[in-house]
Amino acid sequence: MAKLPDDDRLRRRCQFQTSGFAFAADWETHPLALGLLRMIQVEALTKLYGEFVAVNELGFEVKPSEVMGLVGPNGAGKTTTLRCLSGIIPPTRGNIRICGHDLGQDPIAAKRELAFFPDEPRLFDYLTVEQHLAFVARIYQVKDYEPVADQLLEELEIAGKRNALPGELSRGMKQKLAIACGLLHAPRVIYFDEPLTGLDPIGIRRMKDSILKRAREGTAIIISSHLLHLVEEICSHILILKDGRKIAHGTLAEITREFAAQAGETNLEEVFFRATSEAGKAQQ
Amino acid sequence: MISALLYLQYHSIRNRTVMRIKRLKQPKYLVGGIVGGLYFYWYFFRTLFGTPGRGQAMALLASPQNLALYESVGALILLTILLLAWIFPHQRAALTFTEAEVAFLFPAPISRRGLIHFKLLRSQTAILFTTLLLTLVTNRLGGKAWIHAAGWWLIFSILNLHFLGSSFARTMLLDRGITNWQRRLGILALVFLMAAVVIIWARQAMPAFEPSRFQNPDAIKDYAHQVLTAGPLPYLLYPLRLVVRPYLAPNALAFLYALGPALLLLLAHYWWVVRSNVAFEEASVEASRKLAEKVAAVRAGNWQAAQRKPRRKRSPFKLRPVGPPAVALLWKNLIGAGQAYSLRMWVSLAVLAVCASVGMGQAAGGSGLRPALGMVAAMLMCWSLLIGTQFLRQDFRQDLPLADILKTYPLRSWQLALGELLAPAAALTGIQWFLLILVVGLFWQSAAGKMGWPCWLGLGFGAALIIPLLDLITLQIPNAAALLFPAWFQAAKGGAQGIEVMGQRLIFMLGQMLAFIVALIPAAGLFAGVFFLVKMLVGMAMAIPLASIAAAIVLAVEAALGVMLLGWLFERFDVSAETAG
Repeated sequence: MAKLPDDDRLRRRCQFQTSGFAFAADWETHPLALGLLRMIQVEALTKLYGEFVAVNELGFEVKPSEVMGLVGPNGAGKTTTLRCLSGIIPPTRGNIRICGHDLGQDPIAAKRELAFFPDEPRLFDYLTVEQHLAFVARIYQVKDYEPVADQLLEELEIAGKRNALPGELSRGMKQKLAIACGLLHAPRVIYFDEPLTGLDPIGIRRMKDSILKRAREGTAIIISSHLLHLVEEICSHILILKDGRKIAHGTLAEITREFAAQAGETNLEEVFFRATSEAGKAQQ
Repeated sequence: MISALLYLQYHSIRNRTVMRIKRLKQPKYLVGGIVGGLYFYWYFFRTLFGTPGRGQAMALLASPQNLALYESVGALILLTILLLAWIFPHQRAALTFTEAEVAFLFPAPISRRGLIHFKLLRSQTAILFTTLLLTLVTNRLGGKAWIHAAGWWLIFSILNLHFLGSSFARTMLLDRGITNWQRRLGILALVFLMAAVVIIWARQAMPAFEPSRFQNPDAIKDYAHQVLTAGPLPYLLYPLRLVVRPYLAPNALAFLYALGPALLLLLAHYWWVVRSNVAFEEASVEASRKLAEKVAAVRAGNWQAAQRKPRRKRSPFKLRPVGPPAVALLWKNLIGAGQAYSLRMWVSLAVLAVCASVGMGQAAGGSGLRPALGMVAAMLMCWSLLIGTQFLRQDFRQDLPLADILKTYPLRSWQLALGELLAPAAALTGIQWFLLILVVGLFWQSAAGKMGWPCWLGLGFGAALIIPLLDLITLQIPNAAALLFPAWFQAAKGGAQGIEVMGQRLIFMLGQMLAFIVALIPAAGLFAGVFFLVKMLVGMAMAIPLASIAAAIVLAVEAALGVMLLGWLFERFDVSAETAG
């Protein structure tokens, strides 16, 4: 049974999101409340490419305000997992629930709640910055999107590029535009695939701040990255994948406890190598 | 040094050929290769090895008098091509290398002349391939294949060297402070001077130009023959006539006579190019980067990006944030298709079509010009219905590289499919309605006696009703093919070349035609039934519109089912498999 965290802001958010429903006395077990508390629920997620198992029986949960780092060696299944979680590719088996909506059964409701930022910003070559936002607003039916769009453009420092085409933007700016498009509908679940690729030091700082800000506002975030120092810095939870299997999951402290060779070893890099090595597997 | 460059060129071609042979193990290439090979055999090689028949008959037409005319016409075409190469380009000389060649060859101890030689060597691959292809095509008209091959090779080699030399000359002029416009004005002045000399001679030596004399093709041919083969023009065109003469040689002896001067011209061009001391490296690096971008765009399936840099385009209409989401895709794709598809443009075209039809009706009176133009418009309309989908690709075919992003949108799959089809369907419908107005306008008065204006009006109404639905159906076929056979689709448009890729395209084209015919059968059947029934009961004027409405209902049901099916296909479309394919 999920327990509500001692966070008044979060409780208010849950109450707001479920307005119109009268909670029973045991509201902690109400399915809707549980859905809100477990923003991302993954059960036995499996993805096969032919006979190749890309993701194998993966299960985890991400709650509001949690930032989960998805790490693993190349070919571990991180991008496949994110693609399954965002509805881009169908899982071979397993269930995915986004804010209580089953991604397989009710994909529209689930997709309304999420945003996925791939490692390379994917934009339409022929739409300007402003046109991108107008397009996304219509797709997600964001009424009165203009003030939100203006705020996002200001926040991401691309307000001066409203009429620019993606081809006229630097890589960092393209990424900012992709982020503005993704955040326009105020998603409650966000996935980032290598969010720092191609950003300059200031961009990296801003990206980290932005991720943490969204998390503080109650958004559940998954970050897939090879940059372990980033994961260590901003993630509250870590999931280590290898060959499509979960080999570790928990807070940094929990994983460290599980894999640390000696007391006081808290470096994620060391933990990662240990966890993904044969010794780590044996320990599993 | 040249041996290293030869090694690079030889092994690049060899490895590419081996790779193509190896990929025939994949069914998509093997089937494509078989179909492409059969097409080549039936279209080209059968005439090369089999009975010439029509080819010899065509060869007989090439009398000495005709040869002189053809030689001059060929020289005139070459002159036009060369003039364009001198007038239009505005950039500095750039030899286009691949990015790998730039990375390896530019820092290497290779002289500028060595790089030019490499470029010339490499261009020979393309020239030889083009020569082979054109020889196969022109050999169908008769003559000796080897003479045609050698002739084409000489023409393309000289043209290639001339383009290179002119780009070097352009750069040298820019270095000496002569701007592009000054160069263009100088060349145009020279062209006008030549034209003036020819016109003055023609006015003095030739009979007066009377349009009434040119009622038949022979009269036009005689006049052209006199202008091209007498007076100053043959002298002005003389060097270019030397270039085309070997190709037109009727026999081996004539070819050998023509070969010497042509080879001398080739050597003169070669000397011009290799002696030009022009810095091309900087512009070449930029050109290579652009080439790499184009190749990457084509491989990603993004033909628009490959063709030209996208320009900022005005929205066709204001997109409101709420409403049917499919409209967002229509809006996006209309922007992608360009400003050409604005409502204002279509209204203008429709008004123009009406005015043109009425105007021609008044001017041509009872002549056969109007029906002829009407027939052209009708043919264009049919052609756009069948082939238009290949030109307007602002649908899944354009967005396939962004399929992963589309899949994250909270839309039903049929909404996505409908939204993707709307823009090209709207654009095609606009073009066809414009042509339809022309057709009806042009036939209305000329054939009024036979059919009567109510029938033409009914015909126009019926066609206008059916056209958008037909467009929606024809667009579904290539889109479904792209989603069903993504690997084939990507291979066919991924910048790959060869007979097997041509075979794949042929299979796609035939499949599309077949699917279109099958889709038409129920609607055509109902149309015919209703038409004959209503014609019998009410009359012709009502038969066409009522039959069209019945057919449109069937087509609408088919289109709706097709959209659902396309959406289902997109839902099942595995992005990972597609990218892997």
